[in-house]
Amino acid sequence: MSAVQTREHPALRRDRLAALGPLGKPVNLILVGAAVFLLIGCLSSQIFAQQTVVGLAQGAVYGSLALALVLIYRATEVVNFAQGEMAMFTTYVAYQLTTSWHVTYWLAFALTLLIAFVFGMGVQLVFIRPVQHTSVIAVVIVTVGLFILIDGVVGWVWGADIKFMPAPFGNTVYHVGGVAIARQDIGTILVTIASVGLLWLLFQRTKLGLGMRAAALRPASARLVGVRVDRMLALGWGLAAVLGAVAGLMAEASEYSLQPSFMQPILLYAFAAAVLGGLESPVGALVGGVMIGIFLNLLGQYVSFVTSEIRLPFAFLVLIVVLLIKPTGLFGKKKVRKV
Amino acid sequence: MGIKRRIAGALVVLAVAGIAVSAAAGAHRTDPGITANSITIGGTFPLTGVAAAYKTIPLAEQAYYAYVNAHGGVNGRDIDFKVLDDAYNPAQTVPLTQQLVEQSKVFAVVGSLGTAPGLSTWTYLNQKQVPQVFLATGDSYWGACEKKSCAGSTHPYTIGWQPDYPAEGRMYGKYIAQNMPNAKVGIIYQNDAFGKNYIAGLVQGLGAKKSLITDEEGFNATDTTVTQQILALKAKGCDTLFIVATPSQAIASLVTATKIGWSPTTFLSNVSNNPFFVHIAGANGANLDGVISSVYTANQTTQATLPGMVLGRQIISGYAGALLPQWDAGDGNLVYGLGVAWTFVQALQQAGKNPTRASFLAAVHNLNTSKNPFLYPGISLKTSATDGFPIEQLQLVKWSGGATGNWQAVGSVQNVGH
Amino acid sequence: MTTRPSLAAVVSCLVAAAILAVLPFLISGYHQGLLTQVAVFFIAILGLDVLTGYSGQISIGHGAFMAVGGYTTAVMSYYHHTNLIVTMLMAFGICLAFGFVVGLPALRLSGVYLALATFALAVSMPQIPLKFSRFLGGSNGLQAQTVSHLWLYGVAWAAAAILFVGAWLILRGRTGRAFRAIRDSEVAATSSGVELPIYKTLAFGISAAYAGVAGSLFVLATNGYASPNEFTVALSLQILIGAAVAGLGSLWGVLVGAVFVGLLPEVSSSVPVVGSTHGQDVVFGLFVIVVILLLPTGFAGLLARLRVRLTRQSMASINSDPGTS
Repeated sequence: MSAVQTREHPALRRDRLAALGPLGKPVNLILVGAAVFLLIGCLSSQIFAQQTVVGLAQGAVYGSLALALVLIYRATEVVNFAQGEMAMFTTYVAYQLTTSWHVTYWLAFALTLLIAFVFGMGVQLVFIRPVQHTSVIAVVIVTVGLFILIDGVVGWVWGADIKFMPAPFGNTVYHVGGVAIARQDIGTILVTIASVGLLWLLFQRTKLGLGMRAAALRPASARLVGVRVDRMLALGWGLAAVLGAVAGLMAEASEYSLQPSFMQPILLYAFAAAVLGGLESPVGALVGGVMIGIFLNLLGQYVSFVTSEIRLPFAFLVLIVVLLIKPTGLFGKKKVRKV
Repeated sequence: MGIKRRIAGALVVLAVAGIAVSAAAGAHRTDPGITANSITIGGTFPLTGVAAAYKTIPLAEQAYYAYVNAHGGVNGRDIDFKVLDDAYNPAQTVPLTQQLVEQSKVFAVVGSLGTAPGLSTWTYLNQKQVPQVFLATGDSYWGACEKKSCAGSTHPYTIGWQPDYPAEGRMYGKYIAQNMPNAKVGIIYQNDAFGKNYIAGLVQGLGAKKSLITDEEGFNATDTTVTQQILALKAKGCDTLFIVATPSQAIASLVTATKIGWSPTTFLSNVSNNPFFVHIAGANGANLDGVISSVYTANQTTQATLPGMVLGRQIISGYAGALLPQWDAGDGNLVYGLGVAWTFVQALQQAGKNPTRASFLAAVHNLNTSKNPFLYPGISLKTSATDGFPIEQLQLVKWSGGATGNWQAVGSVQNVGH
Repeated sequence: MTTRPSLAAVVSCLVAAAILAVLPFLISGYHQGLLTQVAVFFIAILGLDVLTGYSGQISIGHGAFMAVGGYTTAVMSYYHHTNLIVTMLMAFGICLAFGFVVGLPALRLSGVYLALATFALAVSMPQIPLKFSRFLGGSNGLQAQTVSHLWLYGVAWAAAAILFVGAWLILRGRTGRAFRAIRDSEVAATSSGVELPIYKTLAFGISAAYAGVAGSLFVLATNGYASPNEFTVALSLQILIGAAVAGLGSLWGVLVGAVFVGLLPEVSSSVPVVGSTHGQDVVFGLFVIVVILLLPTGFAGLLARLRVRLTRQSMASINSDPGTS
């Protein structure tokens, strides 16, 4: 990483961080601080604990979609504005499978992920690849066009009225020390963890994953050693679409109803989450998602100015503040841009 | 010569015929949109977008007009109802309404949906002197002419249809004050005029007991989760929940309350009490029994044998067959649409053999009938020169039968007039 | 060194102006209203073009500036009965200032980050009237004075013409060169003496001011009614699409983009198969993607290429002429 330059001399920085011990990095300090704050809050107030638990499940959904955004950003330096609508589309596919074709929920879930994968790759091949090397503006506009296109197609095929799907986890609610925890929420968190875990294994433990990482980080060198970079990028879009599909299905399940616009607010929170974590960091996206989920709930509960009208602007305030203070987010690394 | 003379003769005949025709047409000056055998009306509705759940309303209206046309129309005139999609966006409502008025030359704008879309067009329509009748929104603007004569109000061409939101809120307020004097009322409401109107009504109805309102939590019309707000209400110790929301958030509120182990006495605003949506909440585990709401249209499931509901099912299956499953699933919006269309036809009949906009408006402000078969039995349509609210009665209902249940009447029809 | 307009450009400008001046007297009020929409989008897209096409900074949030401009007109007209033309000038000024303020953080952002930040602005803005509903009318909106189709048509196109000439004047000189230098390479621009902070915020300010005037006209075209639902993200996306169709960095393409965005809803609602909002979305989405994929420089680029090809062909025919005859 010799190309990476920071303003502070690296040796000095190492010294200063070493003095702080294992908590050295400021990121870790923030995270530990947040965790301690949440722990104390949860132990001292039932409603605090309740809001945290619910926020955790919401945050898991934001996190998976944010992770999808990050996967694509790392590979192609593009933010996919259509990520939420792609997830919405795959959720309608699942709706079609379960409600119209009477496939059982979990089989439909698996099929949907498969379809999402193919769909994501297709989108990259057909729409993104031709403009990939032109300009950021062109790619962003294409994803905006996709956003509108998918919206139109779903409205055309399924209509824009409210639909609903079977509940994947049943309607059971557990009570732990006065805090109600819905099986739905536990399920959402577990499914998110499982999908992220599988993805991590794919990237870290398989040759394919290695190739994808190489294609994303050092495309030129990767091409030299025989990695088919274009194919890897398409795979990346496919995997991002799979994560998005998971987010969409989990969001549908926790909102109990399905409308074409249902992923739009979630995409916005996912944007905030991805930027908070650093657009380049998968871990950051997840942590950012969970933090946004929990803290928006807590702010709504305890800060009277943060009424529902400015919940969304508030999330974006976070986004802009992070961009201005530390554009690389909590987990991002600094990069040098060439002239 | 012979041919020339014949042509000249034919020309004379044609000219005479032409004068006769134009004289017949000029015998009475007609307003736009109305001919000897047709009348063109139109409306804007959210067929797409966030409020698309209401799109079955105009479809039912079209079905009713098709049924009327198939039975000879109104005084020999077929009703041509143009439905345009504004996606609930006033910036689209305006050009589309202009299109209806200036291009399609409609006689009247009938049943257009939504408060903001209505407000964005009522100045224009009143300037153009186009009747804007039976708006599908429960805001109180539309009937505000009551204090003075409607013809003298700022918007004499505009009138609503359903009971207004404050009236409904008042009824719940009175009910709580009488029957639940120790309730701790929590309100979850859409943070806009629609939500605040209901709260204002509730406060009025509670009267001296308005301190029973323990907490109010708003949510954003575009937010799809309301968990944080429901949790906050529970935490404040509320034992009574008033849900003022459009269907998707109402479903989420009902389900979430149950999932966090909270079972308050719940009031559900009429806006989202369509059994079709309540069933979705039930399927997701919401505890529905005992939820209180109010209705003014008949219920095709619990009152299937009413003549109006039998007729309604015939009309839907005959003229909008694709909607029959929706009818059988209990979609109240279909009944609503039929009820509005019936009211329009009634007013048109009252407006005379050759209606003008003026005679039509006079008829709209002179309704007095309990014959609308799509309204709840006992509820009538009543307007006057000083009364701009066609429906001012409500029936309190309570849900029973769990996830597959339906609304059951509590007491009898109440007047909620102004 | 400033470029001088070619004779062809001046003539086509005058012809366009003459057509637009005569047109309203030949068409119905309703169609005047439609063409007013085109003027509104023309101004907004022109503003975005100055920012994105010339200075290379993307904005997915121009609907937010339109909202500020629109609410300026609504508030001034509703509370103070201010002359509508004056409110437009105020919208211009307020949005100029607002654009500068937004441009400041944008200095530190580029590419996708700027896209995200401006997107955030677009999403947040409609919430502001809801939060301050007592003053800004909340979801029920504010009603400004209403005006006739013809008045608005005249004012909108006059504004469009003035702003078009304004944009041309700005872009042909020193400022325009600085913008283009920044677009092509910020580092290179700095090293050749362009003060980045000044020119980048200036581009934002001008662009926002244009959008502000468009917003003001937009509200008047909505019968003077301003409400949050009119200024959703969809509006920002429409402007972006219009700019993409126009071809970034070309003043002439803007008219094509504005016609596309302003008239497609009307045209498509009378086409059988796509005659719905959904069909319209499909057309919008597909069209913008196809334009970017096949005509990366938009319609303006297409025209330029055609012109080049025609010139080449005629040159070729001239060159080959002696041989054949």
